[in-house]
Amino acid sequence: MKRRDVLKGGAALAATAGLSAPAVSQGVAANRVLRFVPQSNPGSLDPVWTTAYVTRNHGLLVYDMLYGSDAELNVHPQMAAGHQEEDGGRTVVITLRDGLKFHDGEPVRAADCVASITRWWRRDPMGQAAAAATDEVTALDDKRIRFRLKAPYPRLIPTLAKPSNGLYIMPERVAKTDPFQQITDYTGSGPMRFKREEWITGQILVYERFADYVPVSSGTPSLTAGPKVMNVDRIEWRILPDPATAAAALQAGEIDWWEQPQVDIQPLLRRNRNIVVDVQDPIGLISALRFNTLHPPFDNEAVRRAVIAAVNQEDVVVAINGNDPAGYTTGVGWFTPGTPMANEAGLDAFKKNIAAAREAVRAAGYRGEKVVFLGPTDILAPKAASEVMGDVFRQIGFDTDYQAMDWGTVLQRRSSKQPPGQGGWSVLCTSFAGYDFLDPLVHSQIRGHGDQAWFGWPNVPKLEELRNRWLASTDLAEQKRIAAEIQAAALQAAPGIPLGHYKQFTAYRRNLQGVLKGIPVFWNIRKG
Amino acid sequence: MLAYIARRVLATIPVMLIVAFFVFSLLYLAPGDPAAVIAGDQATPQDVERIRASLGLDRPFVVRFTEWLWRIVQGDLGVSIFTNLPVSHMIAQRIEPTTSLMLITIVLAICIAVPMGVVAAWKAGSWIDRAVMAFAVFGFSVPVFVTGYVLAYIFALQLDWLPVQGYTPLSEGFWPFLENLILPAIALGSIYIALIARITRATMLEVLAQDYIRTAKAKGLGSRGILFLHALKNAAVPISTVIGIGIALLIGGAVVTESVFAIPGLGRLTVDAILRRDYPVIQGVVLLFSFVYVLVNLAIDLLYTVFDPRIRY
Repeated sequence: MKRRDVLKGGAALAATAGLSAPAVSQGVAANRVLRFVPQSNPGSLDPVWTTAYVTRNHGLLVYDMLYGSDAELNVHPQMAAGHQEEDGGRTVVITLRDGLKFHDGEPVRAADCVASITRWWRRDPMGQAAAAATDEVTALDDKRIRFRLKAPYPRLIPTLAKPSNGLYIMPERVAKTDPFQQITDYTGSGPMRFKREEWITGQILVYERFADYVPVSSGTPSLTAGPKVMNVDRIEWRILPDPATAAAALQAGEIDWWEQPQVDIQPLLRRNRNIVVDVQDPIGLISALRFNTLHPPFDNEAVRRAVIAAVNQEDVVVAINGNDPAGYTTGVGWFTPGTPMANEAGLDAFKKNIAAAREAVRAAGYRGEKVVFLGPTDILAPKAASEVMGDVFRQIGFDTDYQAMDWGTVLQRRSSKQPPGQGGWSVLCTSFAGYDFLDPLVHSQIRGHGDQAWFGWPNVPKLEELRNRWLASTDLAEQKRIAAEIQAAALQAAPGIPLGHYKQFTAYRRNLQGVLKGIPVFWNIRKG
Repeated sequence: MLAYIARRVLATIPVMLIVAFFVFSLLYLAPGDPAAVIAGDQATPQDVERIRASLGLDRPFVVRFTEWLWRIVQGDLGVSIFTNLPVSHMIAQRIEPTTSLMLITIVLAICIAVPMGVVAAWKAGSWIDRAVMAFAVFGFSVPVFVTGYVLAYIFALQLDWLPVQGYTPLSEGFWPFLENLILPAIALGSIYIALIARITRATMLEVLAQDYIRTAKAKGLGSRGILFLHALKNAAVPISTVIGIGIALLIGGAVVTESVFAIPGLGRLTVDAILRRDYPVIQGVVLLFSFVYVLVNLAIDLLYTVFDPRIRY
């Protein structure tokens, strides 16, 4: 008998003496409660208003989607029974399947879907492209949604199936909220209902199984596709900001699943036979460096390009994710490894040669201008990448002013177009989910539309021209060819540099069975 | 006395106004942008600008400050930029854990530190005195988070006596409530115990050297009576001053302790809000902390009259 059992006995005795006993997760059996530590504290619960991945994961529990994507990114109907194309592909009619209900008991109607679509596609880049291709989206009746397109748009259904920051269906009254304002009603139609009354920000979010949810009747659960069968009745998201505490809680069995264990703690967890440490999402993330192309020295394309020769992607991804080869990929271009558009065009520019890069920088006309490097201190992957690349910048001869600051400050500073010496910046590093680098449609780092482009504002008309060609193409082989051209052009113009691909590890108690790969979802999981 | 209390309470108003102005100004001047945090990494600069406008962050300082102050006067602390919840609701959710942690820490610290300091002074120069002082140096030197991790490792992970983390409200039972707060209170209290023990020892040494103590000994009073009835009461004024000042120390320490033990208190709320630049929450919490600090100081000032009847206001 352990000392704690004695103490618990004492507590039981105290309870019989009139003290109230602790509630054990609201009376739900322990093996029907899943305790999960998310990657961060979800500040907002509106997955349209913010693109934070933790809010996306909340959305996947609470909301359902018209279409799902499996791990191979194939599209499968989810709330939709199917769709029909008419008028040579200029009209698409989606029909909802039977039995769909919101958590408040109201049926899901086509009008709810239309309102959700129109709110979502004002914010999401892929959605915006679909909106631009659409003349009108309407509810024909309660079951049918009609898209009238300007021209056949084969990417419409894949857009609606987008797995990351995708389209979640909300009741019309909620979805009518301005997309730049937050929703306050979290009614969804997904497999779990959010219990707002138990939400304590920064401590706990609670979800209970939605008894009226009807999973799709066929298919295999994979990513956001297939039947979403819940084998637990209650899910508690416990916010544990301190990694050492989360590790201790997982070892002690106080939590079941820790989404993102820190790399230096993983060896400790691997030694515990009750814990599984595994790659969560094979799509992974890509580390990237971004230049501010408005100001010297990086307004000079040749200077930007010269930096590539010094980059050793392995140094960066090992610093981010540790030296387990299962956790990283090098020789990575601008598209997510293992996906159709990934290619090797232009990768010979990565010479891993500091001396050659130093000479190339000098030859490119660098005149000793100060380089302001924004180095975040509180976001692990960008911090590690920045520290490695900051050192590379010094080695290749840049007068580098490495400014350490918290991520909130980086986000503000990067929007400044002022010269580096007046509150602006020269270079920064960040990470993107692999889902954001799948193809030129969703990709932000290979655009060249100047003022409208992502921070750094590169003006590279050739990149835009190639992107338009890619968007116009429907042939996969041709798309791959154009993607290779885009990558080569992007490494030539160098608005940024891909720094390698890494896969986030997750850790959970061995008694959890059926944890799916990909974005953390909770269906299919059994707790032994 | 009542007039003094009323004056002191009224004096908190200009203090709070100054604090409010400084807090607002500092946040205005500090770098960081909640709109950029909200928009995420894929957002365009135009999206960020639109969100900034929707949050009213593009308006001039004076307009924002005046509006905020007017709401504060009406008792409205505003709404969190991120959670869309009223700041007063978020503070209300967090106040119980922090208050509980601080109260337990204060009680624990006083119960341990004052007798330690008294005994150390009584046995000045002995091994007991040296042991107490060594403990005090140790308590000062080891950061709260290190103490926290070591305690959690030993008592939660290895011995399995207490939980690693979390908080259970008092309404769910006394033992679950206490179980979660024992380790955090010891970790947070270690510096506080060291501080009070040292001050108690120093003050008691001074008092024990006074003539009236010698007189008490000459009259044949027992050691316990001399120490706790006569000496300690006269040493209480500086000790209570240090306890009051230590409240600020506790507020700072609570931020770290709450993170280490995952206690959903005001400290963690503050850190989360600062990292996200959730201005209304930061302003609300800092105002609350400064208000509490002013009130604690007032309470300590009033306690002086209890310990030393010569003090009058």
